[in-house]
Amino acid sequence: MAVMDLDRVPIDEVLRYLGAGGKDPGPLLPLAEDCARELLAAARPRWTWRGFGCEIAPEGVRLDCGFLLPGKDLADHLSGCREAVLLAATLSPGVDALLRRTQLSDLSRSLVLESCAAAAIEEVCDRAEAAIGERYPGRGFTSRFSPGYGDLPVTIQGEFLALLDAPRKLGLCATASSILTPRKSVTAVLGVREPGAKAAPKAKSCGSCSLRGSCAYRRRGITCGRE
Amino acid sequence: MDFKTLLEEKGPVLLDGAMGTMLQGKGMPLGVVPETMNLLHPEWIREIHRAYIQAGARIVYANTFGANPYKTGNCGYSLEELVSAGVALAKEAAGDRALAALDLGPLGQLLEPTGTLSFEDAYEAFAREVRAGAAAGADLVVIETMTDLAETRAALLAAKENSDLPVLCTMTFEENGRTFTGCSVASMALTLTGLGADAIGINCSLGPRELLPLARELARWTRLPLVMKPNAGLPEPGTSRYDVTPEEFAGEMAELARLGVKFLGGCCGTTPAYIAALKEAVAGIHIERPLEPVPPAVCSATRAVTLDRVRVIGERINPTGKKRFKEALKNGELDYILAQGLEQAAAGADILDVNVGLPEVDEKETMVRVVKALQGVVELPLQLDSSSPEVLEAALRVCHGKAIVNSVNGNDETLERVLPLVKKYGAAVVGLTLDHRGILKTAEERAGIARKILAAALSHGIPREDVYIDCLTLTASAEQDSVMETLKAVRAVREELGCPAVLGVSNISFGLPGREIINPAFLTLALGAGLTLPILNPNSPGMMGAVRAWNLLSGADRDSREFVACYGGAPKTVPASSCPAMELDYAVEHGLRTEAAALCKGLLERMAPMELVDQKLIPPLDRAGAAFEKGEIFLPQLIQCAGAAQAAFEVIKAALPAESAGVSKGKIVLATVQGDIHDIGKNIVKILLENYGYTVLDLGKDVPPRRVADAVRESGAPLVGLSALMTTTLGSMEATIALLREEKLPCRVMVGGAVLTPDYAQKIGADWYARDAKESVDIAKGVFGEP
Repeated sequence: MAVMDLDRVPIDEVLRYLGAGGKDPGPLLPLAEDCARELLAAARPRWTWRGFGCEIAPEGVRLDCGFLLPGKDLADHLSGCREAVLLAATLSPGVDALLRRTQLSDLSRSLVLESCAAAAIEEVCDRAEAAIGERYPGRGFTSRFSPGYGDLPVTIQGEFLALLDAPRKLGLCATASSILTPRKSVTAVLGVREPGAKAAPKAKSCGSCSLRGSCAYRRRGITCGRE
Repeated sequence: MDFKTLLEEKGPVLLDGAMGTMLQGKGMPLGVVPETMNLLHPEWIREIHRAYIQAGARIVYANTFGANPYKTGNCGYSLEELVSAGVALAKEAAGDRALAALDLGPLGQLLEPTGTLSFEDAYEAFAREVRAGAAAGADLVVIETMTDLAETRAALLAAKENSDLPVLCTMTFEENGRTFTGCSVASMALTLTGLGADAIGINCSLGPRELLPLARELARWTRLPLVMKPNAGLPEPGTSRYDVTPEEFAGEMAELARLGVKFLGGCCGTTPAYIAALKEAVAGIHIERPLEPVPPAVCSATRAVTLDRVRVIGERINPTGKKRFKEALKNGELDYILAQGLEQAAAGADILDVNVGLPEVDEKETMVRVVKALQGVVELPLQLDSSSPEVLEAALRVCHGKAIVNSVNGNDETLERVLPLVKKYGAAVVGLTLDHRGILKTAEERAGIARKILAAALSHGIPREDVYIDCLTLTASAEQDSVMETLKAVRAVREELGCPAVLGVSNISFGLPGREIINPAFLTLALGAGLTLPILNPNSPGMMGAVRAWNLLSGADRDSREFVACYGGAPKTVPASSCPAMELDYAVEHGLRTEAAALCKGLLERMAPMELVDQKLIPPLDRAGAAFEKGEIFLPQLIQCAGAAQAAFEVIKAALPAESAGVSKGKIVLATVQGDIHDIGKNIVKILLENYGYTVLDLGKDVPPRRVADAVRESGAPLVGLSALMTTTLGSMEATIALLREEKLPCRVMVGGAVLTPDYAQKIGADWYARDAKESVDIAKGVFGEP
């Protein structure tokens, strides 16, 4: 487990989540910057990971500890990989408390804070990924694939977390409905590329996203990917 | 041998080391429920216990850490089977050389408000474990590795109420002295000591060296025996190994023993070798702890408030004389009540009084709901204020800190009824200096009642510093001579009894003009007489000014730092009421809340409320909505406008006579369905609907179908809005709609949320799919027959 000293939230991402990506944000910019500062003060990002050998099986991806990550989509995503990394990260319950308070006192601000939190946890995952990458020199990872994407069921969250001892190490748990708590948290699988394997494009595809039918970005004719 | 004998020994008592580390060493596969080893590989468990006892452990923890319904639900064995087998193995290995402890670890799900597990369900899970463990003959209960004070309290209460066993209670801290959930060492110590733990301390977390400063801090806050069961140092990144050798571990643990820590053992990464080395290192050490008095204090889970200086108790969560607050209580508007708490916290209150007594509401149920929700948004300790012992007990049960009970008085029956509750839950108590004779005239008579209350509290085992005496403020207009008597009584209580003094201050000026002149003057006199805990309105600048000035003049505010920080800055911006040029619609369109409220107040003098809503509030909202649709402004700005309109609405509501029908265009029930905790979307819908004049009955998040159906029946609302953000909670949405239909409630249902689609909405029987908040307003307009 590591506590991450997160010193910035990518403001461009925050604005994009708020629908102002690529437009003149006007007074939203100073508000987003102010919220980012408040969020960083409330967050205490923690993360943990574990590497496994893995086998692509007809029913999904089987880790060498015996655990099955079911479904076809992750198996496709990890095709050619013989190792996988399981990652869990959280911004900590302090952020949940900040959001609860702000929703009561200033709903508008809480929306901006929500976006800051979403951008911050992605930043935490990016940095965690970079740190884990040092343990796999010359290999590279697939993009992150989380429970709930495609046909990888979100209901495996509890077992996923248990495998990483995340409840004890990070205070990160899943509810009976498989919601991660604290709320601003991520679990993800990364395929470790075999030496010499060609990197596939990093962008996530809408085709494997369980939100594709109702996605607010797609309705506006854009995507959430970071091209 | 029993626990008491161990406590009386001069030396330290050794605990065991890690169980999980040892089981993995024996070949337990990753991902299995470790407690099933009690039945599948009892020989492993027996060997591990024996090895620890051989190494010197006097207490072994049975392999029951995770034997709760949330972690073992699908393992094929019942909780009772796992616990009985685990305790039996520990007892068998212990014989008469050691004690066998039932081990209770965290449930593996977070409690409300961050998670969805209720305190009551958590209690019930622990109670099952305790009953099974006690039946299997455990010698004591250990609660360990906790990070949430609420969950720890649930476990400790369950242990105390379902067995007579001694309880050792440890939590897990990070180096910053906080648990993952923000619980501080002081809060843990004050709360668990009060609740009747037999020994408290820290386990897991860190290595022994890192625990030393935390152990010192803990020792300041409790006189109970201390427990330290740290890890074998810090984990090495990427492996499951720890970085401290048995010898280093033992040497550092000996430091803790010299500090006076009575119970010493190991957690993750430690093995019998660590315990054996520990035994050698602490041989001959006598556990001696200079027992300094614990500073008088109350606390929430995250903040301890010491009474070594004046502390303000905010009085605003109380319906007495407040029309809007009464309405909020009757309508169950939790958000309004919580906002009162936030506002007082921001204004500088140290403690919040919570009173929700109103003849028309179920006080007990409301009190529990408000106390639970308040703790999720403010960090301040609470003063639980009710005349009903039943309400007080219900509130004490769910108050996760050291609370103040308000109040007892000199009547024997009140004392006998309430003081046992104060003792059981480890609270402080306010004693009103009145009895069956009413309020007595002289200071001496009131001090007499104070003496009686103190004696009764002491006889119940409540420490002197936890008894706060209220000498009662009488109104100067009716009882002018008693003002000085009250002050005299305050002085007597402080000097003679040594108890903190509490006083509701504002009552002094009741019935007089210029109350804002009298109140701070009386407050200053009372502070001079020794008042510790003024109960007042922290939103009043005059009152907080008097407190801050007192803190400066009395030397509590060293170098005037707090005073300068508060008053030394630039003058505040000019309030909007002095900008006559601004119009209400401008203020709304630009999201200026304070200005919108002030302008609305002015307009109400010459416009009818409904006319004001239709002509001055809705048009700018429509314009903002259109600008949003065109992409000229973004969602936070739209919501800012809504917030300004809502501030204006509050002014209108407050100005309406209580019996009037108000400005409502109709009632709508809103809820985020059971199991789901993502409610920001629902809250956006709520504010917009309110802006357009609808009364929203907001049931909150994680709402069971039954509550939605009941709310619809009771309110007669013709429209229900349900939100869900997860595929896993769409089932709850479907179940809620099914229940509404089954009970033939004449309502229509709109649904929304990220994972919903129009098709799915139709499939689960909803009348409408609302794409966004704006669309929900259009749907409402249709239902309520507006153009």
